[in-house]
Amino acid sequence: MKKILLALTILVFSNPAQATILDIKEVTSKSGIKAWLVEDHTIPVISVKYLFSGSGAINDAPEKQGLARILSNTLDEGAGEYTSEQFQSILDNKSISLSFSTGRDDFGGSLKTLSKNKDQAFLLLNLALTKPRFDQEAVNRMIAANLTRIRSDMTDPDWMVARLLNSVVYKGHPYEMNSGGTLSSLPKITPDDLRSKVKNSLTRDRLIISVAGDISEAELALLLDKVFGTLPAKAETKNIGAVKFADAPSTVLLKQPIPQTIIQASLPGIRMDDPDYFAADIMNFILGSSGFGSRLTEVIREQNGLTYGIYTSMDMMDHAALFTLSTSTENNSAAKVIDLTRKEFERIKAEDVSAEEIKDAQSYLIGSTPLSLTSTDQIAGMMLAFQRYNLPKNYLDVRETALRKVTAQDIKRVAQRLLDLQKLTIVLVGDPKGVTPTETVTDLPNVK
Amino acid sequence: MKKTFLLCASLMALSASAYAQAPATEKATEKVFNAETFTLANGLQVVVVPNHRAPVVTHMLWYKVGSADEPQGDGISGEAHFLEHMMFKGTKAIGPGKFSRLVRSMGGNDNAFTSWDYTAYYQSIAKERLPIVMAMEADRMINIAPPEKEIAPEHQVVIEERRQRTDNDPKALFSEQIRSILYNTSPYGIPIIGWKEEMPKITWDLAKNYHDKWYAPNNAILIVSGDVTLDEMKTYAEKYYGFLPKKEIGNHTRPDVPKPAAPVTLEFHDKAVQQPVFMRAALAPSFVQNKADSYALQVLQNVISGGASTRLYQSLVVKQKVAVDIDMNYDDSNRGQGSIWIYGTPAEGISLKKLETAIDTEFRAMIKNGIPDEDVAKAKERLIDGALYARDSVTGPAMTIGQVLASGGTLDDVEYWPARISEVTPQEVTRVLQKYLDPDQPEYQPVTGYMLPPVTKKDVKP
Repeated sequence: MKKILLALTILVFSNPAQATILDIKEVTSKSGIKAWLVEDHTIPVISVKYLFSGSGAINDAPEKQGLARILSNTLDEGAGEYTSEQFQSILDNKSISLSFSTGRDDFGGSLKTLSKNKDQAFLLLNLALTKPRFDQEAVNRMIAANLTRIRSDMTDPDWMVARLLNSVVYKGHPYEMNSGGTLSSLPKITPDDLRSKVKNSLTRDRLIISVAGDISEAELALLLDKVFGTLPAKAETKNIGAVKFADAPSTVLLKQPIPQTIIQASLPGIRMDDPDYFAADIMNFILGSSGFGSRLTEVIREQNGLTYGIYTSMDMMDHAALFTLSTSTENNSAAKVIDLTRKEFERIKAEDVSAEEIKDAQSYLIGSTPLSLTSTDQIAGMMLAFQRYNLPKNYLDVRETALRKVTAQDIKRVAQRLLDLQKLTIVLVGDPKGVTPTETVTDLPNVK
Repeated sequence: MKKTFLLCASLMALSASAYAQAPATEKATEKVFNAETFTLANGLQVVVVPNHRAPVVTHMLWYKVGSADEPQGDGISGEAHFLEHMMFKGTKAIGPGKFSRLVRSMGGNDNAFTSWDYTAYYQSIAKERLPIVMAMEADRMINIAPPEKEIAPEHQVVIEERRQRTDNDPKALFSEQIRSILYNTSPYGIPIIGWKEEMPKITWDLAKNYHDKWYAPNNAILIVSGDVTLDEMKTYAEKYYGFLPKKEIGNHTRPDVPKPAAPVTLEFHDKAVQQPVFMRAALAPSFVQNKADSYALQVLQNVISGGASTRLYQSLVVKQKVAVDIDMNYDDSNRGQGSIWIYGTPAEGISLKKLETAIDTEFRAMIKNGIPDEDVAKAKERLIDGALYARDSVTGPAMTIGQVLASGGTLDDVEYWPARISEVTPQEVTRVLQKYLDPDQPEYQPVTGYMLPPVTKKDVKP
């Protein structure tokens, strides 16, 4: 046994050739609506993902935070001739998943149907986008459900820490609002607010569409006009500036009587069009995004047993990019975890990462891509992201080439640029020992 | 897929992610996955689910043993799950922590999860790498030997895991207690991760004893889903798992809980709680205990809580407005007794007592009038349509099949599930409703939980 395995580990894995996995076609309808399509007729499922770029919660008025969220919950509550119950019955009985969602930047939706029910599915999507009813009963019901969700989230430390981080990092910027709404803002939202949001922001100039599965190009071209052809042409625009990050470090604590402290820390991040983006991607993997095998997991979990999980991540939005760390630990260990994390940040800035670490990161980041392309949903979702960020159809190849070029010097340079502890914002929820906060809050902002 | 705002309490395995709904297919006589199976001479059952859409595979090894098989009554719990963690901590050939690193360096993902009845280890990876992960998985089945220095930190990690999942969360703590009362004499009443007070007493020796007793090819199922053929798998399975020695495997003891004389109601006040919640749990047979009743209960569950257009949501949320959310789940995947859980979130100003009465009234009405034929037909169609979606995944089918086989079901149970569902009659559905969920039946003694803010808040009382 031992022999076989040792031989295997010495084979040191060269990556299998990456065939073009995504055969993307661009489909244009008669009226000029475009969509990206990956056709696959092996399973009778069609997945549509689309979004209205820039139409998300960032547009909510502060006194009506949560408007985009309520819209996402009410668009499927009856449309055209169909009452909420009738609309939901068709969805349930035809096994059609039709849902809407909002982020800070974008408002989007997804439709998944068996191909045998596609006509009905696309018709319902069209009705929801063009003739939503917003009956007062349904709007009230969704507001009530969201109020409940907030009260329930208020006992969830992971939610609290995320909320706290947003309000600290984005202070003074519309991103600081609670996209899920607040206990006082949600009841102010009316059907008229929803109607005007539909009219002014679910528009063709902001629309991006991806489709995967059991549908042909010709058929899709027709359906694009049927579903999206009658949407208003142009959105109302609003000028929003970039987030200004604080230039001094801070540590903000929300004290809670729980046994474990939840910790998040963030730094200004890096955008995808930055020349150092791929170096940052590899640095992030080596430091924390890989979970098992990352330096932070190795030191804080494996060697010291201080946490069940520690991760870093990179996020990009229209007006900010963030580098974020998340973990949790027994209250008594919070100071130690923060200290060990800082040391790892400093180490990756000071010393070259090893050739093996770079190679492992490249192998994973390139080799694992096909794992996220095993369902029609995933394929549609990935294409949507490509379009949203103006990436080419062959982006996976572009990315592979760029990742392979990254050197230890690139990683050190980007680490020094990104991991500037003078800009580090730390937020904690719990009862941490040995941590001196620069600010203690007693109430979460933008919740009540 | 709609508006479950709250409380998808994880009844299933620790770290198990979203399970595909039990499968089904368009024509109910067709097989769901067209999986194939064979068994090696050492007793290892192998299942192959071919899916050639992407050049990847999911390789899962399911041991038919879980936390419910830990020695009972020794005042220690959680060693099955601790063992699962320690399986990543080194064999002679692959050092501590190296397993996952190797998988990552080959572009793969790996993890594991423990439930009451099973423990599974899996890797998702490019198909060229399948032989390597098979060799690695077989190696740790017999060669697990973590160095001494790895034990104490990992012991702390599982204790942190409990703090994160349970101790920090009043809902999780309360669900754990409801479950322990429901399954009062059964090992299903003990949390998989272990009781807080009992976890510190876990030792490597205990975990190793459990490993030596239960981890063997004839107590395991190997499932490979993805871009692989039956012939390839026959070669690989023999080569990498064929030499593993069989063991004598003991019985899995899953005593049925004695019938309670009275229902139990728990009231939990916690100052972290802002939103009152109603929970109710009742015993029901699992799939392997009573397949006929289980099929009918699966249809019943879908009739009354299968989406926003179905009975409980329409009646309690939309029409009566006593709840903002209501859900009923049927957990049928145990080797021993299963359970039915109802979660309700009251509307503003509605007491939990009032919500409870409304729920009982709804069940009484359904029992009195029977379940309409049309509702049953729709629920069956929804369930059977679900099978077509279940195939739209590589990992999902391996999860579904593993769960059924590991708790004592067969591959045919999975493949012909749509046919069995299509045979369920409205009479059967009404019969199981009366048998397992009738508030006026003396046999029905659920455990009910009210989760509430501190008593001092006069405005929210049960």
